[in-house]
Amino acid sequence: MTPDFRTSAPSKMESETETRQQAFLQNIANRLGRAVLQEKPLHPDKGAPRFWQEYRLDQQARIELFCDNWQKAGGIVHHFPHEREARQFLVQSVLDSGARKILRQDQPELAEWKLEESLREGQKLVCWQAMERTQALAEAAEAKIGIVVADYAVACTGSVVVASSAQKGRSVSLLPPTLFVIVPLDRLKTRLGEVLTVFENRARSFYPAGIHIISGPSRSADIENDLTIGVHGPGKVYALLFG
Amino acid sequence: MKDSVRERAQAALQDDYLRNAVKFTTERLRSGKQSAAAELGHWEEWRERGRAIRLHTIAHLDYYLAQFADNARQQGAHVHFAFTKEEAVAITLEIARRNKARSVVKSKSMVSEELHMNEALAEAGIETVETDLGEYIIQLANEPPSHIIIPAIHKNKEQIAEVLSREAGKQLPAETSVLAQFARQKLRQKFLQADIGMTGCNFAIAESGSIVLFENEGNARMVSTLPRTQITLMGMERIIPTWADLEVMATLLPRSATGQKLTVYLSGITGPKRTEDSDGPEELHIIIIDNGRSLQLGDPDFQELLNCIRCGACLNVCPVYRQIGGHSYGSTYSGPIGAVLTPALVKNAAEWNDIAYASSLCGACYEACPVKIPLHDMLVYLRHRTVTKGRPDLQEKLGMKGFRYLMSDYRRLRKALRLGRVGQKLLSRNGVIKAKLGPLKGWHRYRHTQLAAEQAFRDNWPVLKQELNRSLAQADPRIEERLQAWVAKRERGNEYDA
Ligand code: SF4
Repeated sequence: MTPDFRTSAPSKMESETETRQQAFLQNIANRLGRAVLQEKPLHPDKGAPRFWQEYRLDQQARIELFCDNWQKAGGIVHHFPHEREARQFLVQSVLDSGARKILRQDQPELAEWKLEESLREGQKLVCWQAMERTQALAEAAEAKIGIVVADYAVACTGSVVVASSAQKGRSVSLLPPTLFVIVPLDRLKTRLGEVLTVFENRARSFYPAGIHIISGPSRSADIENDLTIGVHGPGKVYALLFG
Repeated sequence: MKDSVRERAQAALQDDYLRNAVKFTTERLRSGKQSAAAELGHWEEWRERGRAIRLHTIAHLDYYLAQFADNARQQGAHVHFAFTKEEAVAITLEIARRNKARSVVKSKSMVSEELHMNEALAEAGIETVETDLGEYIIQLANEPPSHIIIPAIHKNKEQIAEVLSREAGKQLPAETSVLAQFARQKLRQKFLQADIGMTGCNFAIAESGSIVLFENEGNARMVSTLPRTQITLMGMERIIPTWADLEVMATLLPRSATGQKLTVYLSGITGPKRTEDSDGPEELHIIIIDNGRSLQLGDPDFQELLNCIRCGACLNVCPVYRQIGGHSYGSTYSGPIGAVLTPALVKNAAEWNDIAYASSLCGACYEACPVKIPLHDMLVYLRHRTVTKGRPDLQEKLGMKGFRYLMSDYRRLRKALRLGRVGQKLLSRNGVIKAKLGPLKGWHRYRHTQLAAEQAFRDNWPVLKQELNRSLAQADPRIEERLQAWVAKRERGNEYDA
């Protein structure tokens, strides 16, 4: 993947950037009383304390902890023994909601679910693909339900992780007021660190532009400490675990 | 700033709603933090690790900033450096001009408050909308934030309804759900129409050139997803070396701020959108800002200020903040961290010297701080600097001189105390002193002074000493052994304080 950025003619701002950066770093080194560092420093205290890095839960404990955390944050969670039951639940929920427009990521796992076959007349399932930007955003803004498959989930924090790509729009998990996140159990980890370090070791060219870790419905306590759900992002969030 | 902390605090203390709201909110956040820390366990170990990572990063700040800038550029981001707020504003305006931007949507950024960015954009004719619910409210009310985490802590529902009704052009009821719904709809349009999205930056990851945002509402995600251009304002100290280090910060920050295990959204943004992506910014600018921060580097008393992760925990435990609220501090940052950071960020620290006195030096801030910044020590250093620069209050100077004169000779002290015991009879009423005369005025406004005891401790000491010796001789040998060991340790110096 090549990064996408507009190339404009180099101007004063660009040429100034480099000299300013030099001076900026030099000033820091001066204040610290040494020359600018060129060598990578040793970082013995990197990451979580040892005891935590070794912490693991078995699958049953992970499921219970995830479900507990997700619910406490105000989300809705179900664990199904098989994929088909998860699909069944999703279809029923979409039918019951009466939503006219439903948006899903263009993930092969989801394509296999063939959701469009089970929808009612008047319900439209839009698949996020490489679309023209304005059109993509318009679709997302109109959709009442977003459906995504999580890249990972984390038990200790009750979170799902979704990374962006051409097939996986950031808007799908953000704009519709209701969000369904499907979590195959083999993606459920114990600690947040297990997921973060996946990105640590990833080659630069495979970095997703947006990595989003979601832990429940959008919330705010800005008005007199009253909890408000769904203030900007989705207010109803379902996690459907299966396996 | 013309008026003083004292005057601003005076006004805040008259406002009953404000005092109750601040008390209630800080209490909620504080107890949330306590239970989150207890539930996690090993809290001290986490704090120690957080502190170690921050210390390491700041000690190698030039290296990590260079690494960050390189990696972010390789991902397609534009990285700018700004020494001053004027430079940061100029870069922002230049980006806006090139993109012919007419509107900016912003997610929460304390740095942008520092830069007075909204005013600068408005002057350039660019509409700027704060999108964090609390920030939106105070922007419409034309007031600065009064808490790092809950900026509109000082406004009640009726006041908020009034502010939003003005924006709506119709009367909205003072109901949280209605008000929030109005803000949601209004801001959704703004997100979709804006030319530029502006964010702050909780952390920047050097090894990948990513910026990291913690939030609960989803507005920072909107701001970094919908507009074509994104500008991220980053204080130069916001950096951490690796994603693995982010786990530590993600463990400490939300728990310390609100008691959550994690904020609802934690986003890592690495470069602008990829060519094939249909959403996300096409252009990403990261402006790394000094604005006085480097003044703290290499200063043994204050360098640790750069470790701050802006969680607000020190505000929530501060007995002074809890009484007077954020606006009394008169600057972008309030509470204990504000009392130290504000003077530290400006060269003419003298202008701010009164806020270093808005503290009781109780040390609760240090206890609460997830990265163990010794804020109470720093407040003492600041006061010390004020005094050595020869700018103390005249009354205080005289007072200290007198104190020294008295205390340097025990006979003198004894004589003075005897005199005092006689003299106090003139001022006492019902066994306490209430007189609001001269130097007693400030103190006696809210308190009474107890009378000195008929017999002073010093005069009693010979008798007490005898008693003590007797009881020590009969003391349990185990207790005595422990006492002896303790005394021995103390004599060896301060190693236990280290
Ligand atoms: S000084 Fe410590 S407690 Fe206060 S905001 Fe900074 S990190 Fe939080």
